[in-house]
Amino acid sequence: MISAIHTINILLPFFYFATLVVYYYDFIKSEKKLVNIKRVFLFITLLLHLIYIVLRTIAFDHPPITNVFEIFTILAITISFSYFLVELVSDIRGTGPFIIILPFIFQLISSLFIQDLTQVKDVLRSNLLGIHVISALLGYSGFTISAVYGFLYLVLYKDIKLNKFGLIFNRLPNLEVLERLSLYSAVIGFISLTIAIVIGVIWLPIAFPHFSYMDPKLIGTTLVWLLYAIGITTKVLGKWRGKKLVMLSIAGFTVAILSTILSNFLAQSFHSFY
Amino acid sequence: MNLISISINHRTAPVELREAVYLKEDEIQPFINLAKENQLKEGLILSTCNRTEIFCIPGKEDLTHDKIQGLLLKYKTAQNISEENFQKYFSRDAVEHLFSVATGIDSLLIGDNQVFKQVKDSFQLAEENHFAGYIMHRIFDAAIRTGKRAISETAISEGAVTVSYAAVQLTEKIFSNLNKKTALVIGAGETGEIAAKHLSERGIGSLYVTNRTQEKAEKLAQRLNAKVIPFSEFRDSIHKYDIIISATSAPEILIPKEDVKNALKKRNNNPMILMDIAIPRDIDPATKEIDYVFYHDLDSLNIIVEQNLAKRKSEIPKVKKIIEEELDNIWGWYNSLQAAPAIKDLREFFEEIRNEEVEKNKNKFASEDQDKLDIVTKRIINKILHHPTIELRKASESSSSIDTATKIGIIRDLFGIGNKKSEKD
Repeated sequence: MISAIHTINILLPFFYFATLVVYYYDFIKSEKKLVNIKRVFLFITLLLHLIYIVLRTIAFDHPPITNVFEIFTILAITISFSYFLVELVSDIRGTGPFIIILPFIFQLISSLFIQDLTQVKDVLRSNLLGIHVISALLGYSGFTISAVYGFLYLVLYKDIKLNKFGLIFNRLPNLEVLERLSLYSAVIGFISLTIAIVIGVIWLPIAFPHFSYMDPKLIGTTLVWLLYAIGITTKVLGKWRGKKLVMLSIAGFTVAILSTILSNFLAQSFHSFY
Repeated sequence: MNLISISINHRTAPVELREAVYLKEDEIQPFINLAKENQLKEGLILSTCNRTEIFCIPGKEDLTHDKIQGLLLKYKTAQNISEENFQKYFSRDAVEHLFSVATGIDSLLIGDNQVFKQVKDSFQLAEENHFAGYIMHRIFDAAIRTGKRAISETAISEGAVTVSYAAVQLTEKIFSNLNKKTALVIGAGETGEIAAKHLSERGIGSLYVTNRTQEKAEKLAQRLNAKVIPFSEFRDSIHKYDIIISATSAPEILIPKEDVKNALKKRNNNPMILMDIAIPRDIDPATKEIDYVFYHDLDSLNIIVEQNLAKRKSEIPKVKKIIEEELDNIWGWYNSLQAAPAIKDLREFFEEIRNEEVEKNKNKFASEDQDKLDIVTKRIINKILHHPTIELRKASESSSSIDTATKIGIIRDLFGIGNKKSEKD
């Protein structure tokens, strides 16, 4: 089983890359027959990825959520699965290559650095942790997708304003749809992150009796949560829209990424598990 | 194939000459009757503002392009039209030309969908007037299939190629659902009308029209189920519209930047699309500097049109490939209508059935009778096929090739024997 895990671990980035290439090719050429082929590629990649995660969980006796590189592979599958659903449900095409590049990068990093971890710190053996991690990942997947759609909104907005009617103009869905997709993914992300925070706060004093409220992880996450809370509230109140909102989403995503990197690798935080 | 065609079109003749031979719908039927009297057995008449085409299968061998041309000019009493104004095609070239017309690659506006519909209508007219026989019918079907394939397999008809349509297409890149939007069209002239029509076809939520002459606006509004607002008042209400298309001949700016700025404030920055398709312009071009205002004029819309036209042009080789395939298809079918291969196929078909039945049943006969069974059944088949074979040979030697082809075609259809290509159809 271990050798199968190793083989799939090497194969996965290639599969994501192949899927990305097909999506990109379709974006450029827009040939009718490619529509189904690219979905098949994505589906096969997702299936292989699911098998990989199940095998890992069985072989190493824990779900791959205990350090950054394990989490990256989960992030890759949740983002591509969410996109797969978006494409099936909304029939919105043309945004695929911009999303799929992210799982490719996450999986590539994960595949390069992930280790066969059988020993897990005792503190990470908790039922609450499972829910905490899953909801946090859903939250970050949501923010990632929201930022990508926000970014595409800005590019298309600029192209239309400047009379640039190229590939972006021809292939992307319209501005309203991009704005809506960005908002919905942000809302889903926000709800998930809220759940993750609530569980984290319950679990934190139990797991780490000597934690500090000034911990970078806590400050970073609170900041991210606040940014999205402001964005969603102003939208609901009808005060902000379009450009401002998607820029806020991109800012939220950037802070989220920075905060993760900072608290996991650089700063002294209880949340450094690697 | 004895198919003759003449064509007068945008490449060969200026509009006044095309107009001179244009056949209105009620003129086509009498013309078909005249054609029939003049030995045109089967055919197709296609007449639009851009082209008049006659395709026909003559009943007599000596009927030429010139005679058909003469017939048309006599019927329309058209003058000043010379030999050079007509393109002439024969046989395979004529079918190819028909396919090119049906797919829109021969049109002034490449990939024009309209012409495909017109071709279909003219087929129907030919059929209603008993002007379409067995062979012609087959050619019609092939032309329609070719046209459909071009639309579905290539991008020959994709993208807006007129300014007013480009304006609507651009709108759809900004808003997702036009039926929740409100639009105002300023100017009830031809351009304004076309733009308003496009919006209405795309299901715009509510449509307003304004025009300096109120009466003209009212007429247009009635046709499109739109509302009218007085020209003197529209400036006060521009914040109500998500889309404003302006196409007047006014020499001055009708909507200054300040108005748009204020409107946007009132709309709480809800995006606004301003399409200025007038010369000189009606809307201050500086409005494009305002956030959430999408201002486009003729120049920018023409970029879209030019791009789409170039894209359609680049699809022509793909369409030509489809035309070539369909031509080969129909040619393969037509060649199977020659007498010699048809007789061979017919005999083989019967022999196969005979052989199969003999093999299946011969064990029911005593071994000394089995040879006799073979001989007797062969004799039956020969007798059945004797008369049809003689008739087919005679037909191929004497009467016109179209008659023979029709007879053979019917025999093949009746017994279900054909070449593989025609079975697929």
